[in-house]
Amino acid sequence: MPNVDQFESAFRAAAKEVFSYKAVEIRKVLVVTDLEAGKAEAFSERAKRFLEVLDDSTQWTLASRDTFDTVGGLLDLVEQEAPDLICSYRNLRSRAWRWPYSLGVHLDVLTQVTPIPVMVFPHPRSDTGAGRVSEGTRVVMALTDHLTGDARLVNHAARYTGKDGVLILAHVEDQVVFDHYIETISKIPSIDTDSAREALFQQLLKEPKDYILSCREVLEGQNLPLRTDAVVTFGHRLREYRRLVEAHNVDLLVMNTKDEDQLAMHGLAYALAVEIRTLPLLLL
Amino acid sequence: MPDFTPLLMTETAPGPHGEVSTAVTLGFAALLVGLIACLALEEKLHARKSVIAGLFAAVCLVLGDAFHLIPLGQVMVGGHGIDMPVYIPPIDWNVIAIILGSSLFVDITSRSGLFTWVAIRLTKASRGDPLRLLTLYGVMTVVFSAVLNNVTAMIIVGSLTAVSLEKLGRRDKLLGFLLVEGLLTNVGGLLTLISSVPNIIVGTTAGITFVRFFLAACPYVAVATVVTLWLGARLFGIRRLKDAGQRDEARDLVASFDERDGIESQGFFWFGTAMLVLFITVIATTPVLPVIQDLGMGYVALAFGALMLVRFRATAEKFYQALDWDLLGFFCGLFVVINVMEHAGVLALIGHGLSVVIDLGPTTGSGLVLVSSSVASSVTDNIPLAAMLAKILAADPVIGSDPGSSFWWAVVFGANLGGNITPIGSASTLVAVTIIHKHDLTLTFGGFVAKAMPFAVLQIVLAVVYVLVFL
Repeated sequence: MPNVDQFESAFRAAAKEVFSYKAVEIRKVLVVTDLEAGKAEAFSERAKRFLEVLDDSTQWTLASRDTFDTVGGLLDLVEQEAPDLICSYRNLRSRAWRWPYSLGVHLDVLTQVTPIPVMVFPHPRSDTGAGRVSEGTRVVMALTDHLTGDARLVNHAARYTGKDGVLILAHVEDQVVFDHYIETISKIPSIDTDSAREALFQQLLKEPKDYILSCREVLEGQNLPLRTDAVVTFGHRLREYRRLVEAHNVDLLVMNTKDEDQLAMHGLAYALAVEIRTLPLLLL
Repeated sequence: MPDFTPLLMTETAPGPHGEVSTAVTLGFAALLVGLIACLALEEKLHARKSVIAGLFAAVCLVLGDAFHLIPLGQVMVGGHGIDMPVYIPPIDWNVIAIILGSSLFVDITSRSGLFTWVAIRLTKASRGDPLRLLTLYGVMTVVFSAVLNNVTAMIIVGSLTAVSLEKLGRRDKLLGFLLVEGLLTNVGGLLTLISSVPNIIVGTTAGITFVRFFLAACPYVAVATVVTLWLGARLFGIRRLKDAGQRDEARDLVASFDERDGIESQGFFWFGTAMLVLFITVIATTPVLPVIQDLGMGYVALAFGALMLVRFRATAEKFYQALDWDLLGFFCGLFVVINVMEHAGVLALIGHGLSVVIDLGPTTGSGLVLVSSSVASSVTDNIPLAAMLAKILAADPVIGSDPGSSFWWAVVFGANLGGNITPIGSASTLVAVTIIHKHDLTLTFGGFVAKAMPFAVLQIVLAVVYVLVFL
């Protein structure tokens, strides 16, 4: 005889998350630097060329080293300017950019306090930084470990994908966590380990795949000039993310950084933002 | 074994195999009351039906043999004497075959994704409007109860209700929906001969054909469904969405259900659909199909179960494990107990009591049988009641030879609808309560009775009128 759980599971699986498209409007961009005037202008121009996908009518405002002094000052500036996007780089007003261990206190606070997306460019003084930033955003990757239902991430990533570019929606399940659960299941006699492994593996991949199909369908319906590719896989997340970024020649990486359970930046996003230093990152 | 017969042979009553003393008959009657009481207290005893019935069957057989009540020796099959254990012939293998075969068939067919497909299509058709959803789920409950069985219908519709109301943000209506659906399973269970076990037992004993059963029950089921849905919508405040914005939002939410998700193979989906239609057609026409009519509905159910198993031939054991062996074991034990009760003169005793009611005539008598069957079914399992009454009515020379007698229908309607008075009255209402509790909603035994009583009373009154006027 069928049981309640069997059918409830079937119906829950059938109740899919559907992507809802919402155009992201970027009317005003605030470029924050700690550089002196000339270099600040150059950085701003670099950012404009990179973000050629934005409309010509977009208003660009440059906030150089004289406009803020402290974190509080920076937050006041952001509130006053009320931009739709902030462009900056790691370790503002610090020389710690040489060491790949932090984003710096200004960006740490900025990404968590303001709801405004922050685009983190490679540090203009680093050897690998400026040269790596491409002209335009041909390949944009939205990276997460929980893509299903994350319309905001997809909408932002789609917005920054250049004309005829590729939007890669990447979902990586943590292999270590998966193995840990399967090992625990293998110690429970009432659960068939092989069946559980197979079923869990398939279901974990199926949900993001279904969501990406929905994203593709909706984005195509909007006639956006981009192609949507899917990457849904298992792996050691940080290692896998780095591999994916390199394998796909990504121009821009888009990630969520806010975690409603904590004040600090989302754990994985922080690790990625700190370690991936040669690519522009859009931190939501 | 010592012979107790002379000790108890004070007063005698005619039994199938000679005289049985009243004391013996009363002793066995007490055992029967004990069985019914234990089944009613199944939850309290933490014992499965099959264990209870099996234990009572074992005791009945020992005592039956001790008092020389049960016939031992060879059994005549096809004119040949065959050695067979005494507890094998009493079992109605046709009923067992119907239940076993159709359970297997339904379980495998559900793997095709057909039932989830139908359920989700109806959810989408409702556009998320609560009243339309209740109406469509109600009709689906009735149809699934009729085609599958009450418990499977409640499981499918109940689990979908929980998921869809959660998605629509209407969890406050879940209790009302599940209760109405639970009550409709027993209404839908009246629709066909194979919709519920009492129907199978009474229908096969009376010789009522599938088509005749359907035609007789259909008008009542239609009216009772409409009335139940109307009352449910009123009592639980389930109304249509008036605001256009809410309607659009609800439509979008149910539109995200993907009815194709449960379909693993398009080929198997269509095979399952075709087989279900064929199954119902063959079951309905069994009495007129050459060859098949000799083999019976049990054969049809088993054959279709076997045909469906071909698809899962390498993993068939999983479906065997999923069969409700508790139910099947319960039937076997129950048939043995009833057989011993027949030999002990208990059925004759009850039949004697019932004859007083029968003598009241087809109008008052049928009405009384229907109401008393309902009340009895509400506190204990309706299957022993149906099996016992079917056997007693079959022994009546007038009723037994008339498949159209209103008494048969009184038992069928009473046994089915009585399950709506209490949560333990039927397996499907018990499933409804289980789903209610699974979703952290509070519903006590008394709470169920209070909420279900207006529905049950209305349905039983309608049934009495229908049986007396139209059947």
